[in-house]
Amino acid sequence: MKYMILTYASQQEYQELAGQPPEQRAWTQEDWAALGAFMQAFNAELADSGELVETRGLSAPVHARRVQLSEGVPVVTDGPYAEAEEVLAGYWIVECASFDRATEIASRLASCPGPEHVRARAYADVRPVDEHQPEFEG
Amino acid sequence: MADAEAEDLLRRLAPQVLGAVARRFGNFDLAEDATQEALLAAARQWPRDGLPESPRSWLIAVAARRLTDLLRADQARRRREDTVARRTPAETGPPPPGERNPADTDDTLVLFFLCCHPSLSAASQIALTLRAVGGLSTAEIARALLAAPDTVTRRISRAKQSIKDSGIPFARPPAGQLPARLDAVLRVLYLMFNEGYAATSGTELLRLELAAEAIRLGRALHEALPDDSEVSGLLALMLLVHARHRARTAPDGSLIAMAEQDRSRWDRAAIDEGIALITVVLPRGPTGPYQLQAAIAAVHDEAPSADATDWAQITALYGVLLGLEDNPVVALNHAVAVAMATGPRAGLALLSRLADDPRINGDRRFHAVRAHLLERSGDRHAALDAYAEAARRATNLQQQRYLSRQISRLHGSG
Repeated sequence: MKYMILTYASQQEYQELAGQPPEQRAWTQEDWAALGAFMQAFNAELADSGELVETRGLSAPVHARRVQLSEGVPVVTDGPYAEAEEVLAGYWIVECASFDRATEIASRLASCPGPEHVRARAYADVRPVDEHQPEFEG
Repeated sequence: MADAEAEDLLRRLAPQVLGAVARRFGNFDLAEDATQEALLAAARQWPRDGLPESPRSWLIAVAARRLTDLLRADQARRRREDTVARRTPAETGPPPPGERNPADTDDTLVLFFLCCHPSLSAASQIALTLRAVGGLSTAEIARALLAAPDTVTRRISRAKQSIKDSGIPFARPPAGQLPARLDAVLRVLYLMFNEGYAATSGTELLRLELAAEAIRLGRALHEALPDDSEVSGLLALMLLVHARHRARTAPDGSLIAMAEQDRSRWDRAAIDEGIALITVVLPRGPTGPYQLQAAIAAVHDEAPSADATDWAQITALYGVLLGLEDNPVVALNHAVAVAMATGPRAGLALLSRLADDPRINGDRRFHAVRAHLLERSGDRHAALDAYAEAARRATNLQQQRYLSRQISRLHGSG
């Protein structure tokens, strides 16, 4: 079974991560390096165990575009999210034995280093991928 | 024999085996499957039982046997599906005259042309080249391209299907098509190499393997076409850029600009090899874009520091490159070189010409270069605005953090 692990952040939190504004809430170079080292080890372990299908991080929500029908015509909106709105920030797709195992993997993200106020509110969701097994395959 | 040695040997032999089998049976699609199975069998048996007397013949024999089985199964299936339209014997018959026993390097070359055929998408070209010429397994390709194994399998089988459908023969392209087809091969290798440098957080090491694989394939292509100047140029370019990879990242994972790199960590052997290649081909001509980019990389690699770089020569080389192709990123680099050679104002004047070019004026790089030159010219306020604009347009956190640091530094100096 495949499961998707999702993490979230707001535009404001992305800016802190990028060191903007350079005030007290910005991630320091040490914070940033610790995050990189953690993610590298986390991903390498999942790749080695053969459970990692894919992982990606998404760029800040300000770069997002939304396409929506307006009077029957698709209309594009740039940066559709509010500053403090939490949006998808990154995901992992893992293929593993059980929902519990996928949850165990996601729980390890709780030890991801970062500034205290970020750690205090961070969470990850685990969702089973809706997979349809083909009836026949050559 | 050690696993790593066997793996190395298998990768070198992979295109030769596939070439020999595809030529004999004229069925690239199944020949590729059969070769993969022969390689897998060898990877299991050789480290355990020792190397056969002629590894190449062993692989060809195993692949040919497997291919015969596959063809039989294929034909049986076809007979079941369609008893009327029988296969034409040409597809499984002997190779056409004039194609017997060409050298192995020739087979490798034909494989390059086939895998980088213009009818395939860029993603398929890269995956198929890594598989058929590089001898990488699907899992290895998936890891290198950061793609799911299923996706890679689909890309490869779709690519093989298009080759089959379009009836492209396993042969050198006709002389008239050769330059265009070689351009496509060079572009695929260059894309592969750059893909290796498009590092995502936590994946840097894996991706450098892809850059190294592109260099290995570049060597194979150079071996098959030793007299082609652009093939040499591309190999030199890859070597000269890759030579700096150890100095590119700080221990904390952040990127280090070339001006601040510890040049003692650059790979001298790779630089010497690249320079030797480019020194032979540049005077010979005709001069193409890969040779020019390699020449520029060579000037950087030879300089003891950013300030001691021969910027006048780099400016001249970018000038020639601009004459060959209308490329706004080249124009941007040209402006930087001019600024380094003659001062920031001359560079800014060139940038103002690019300010109306929609291909580059929305790009982070344009604003970052402008900010840097404004700072050097002493216009701190305009530099701050330009850095902020660049940071706003950057979509990569690593790059955003670099730009944020420039902004903090300028604020601090005010």
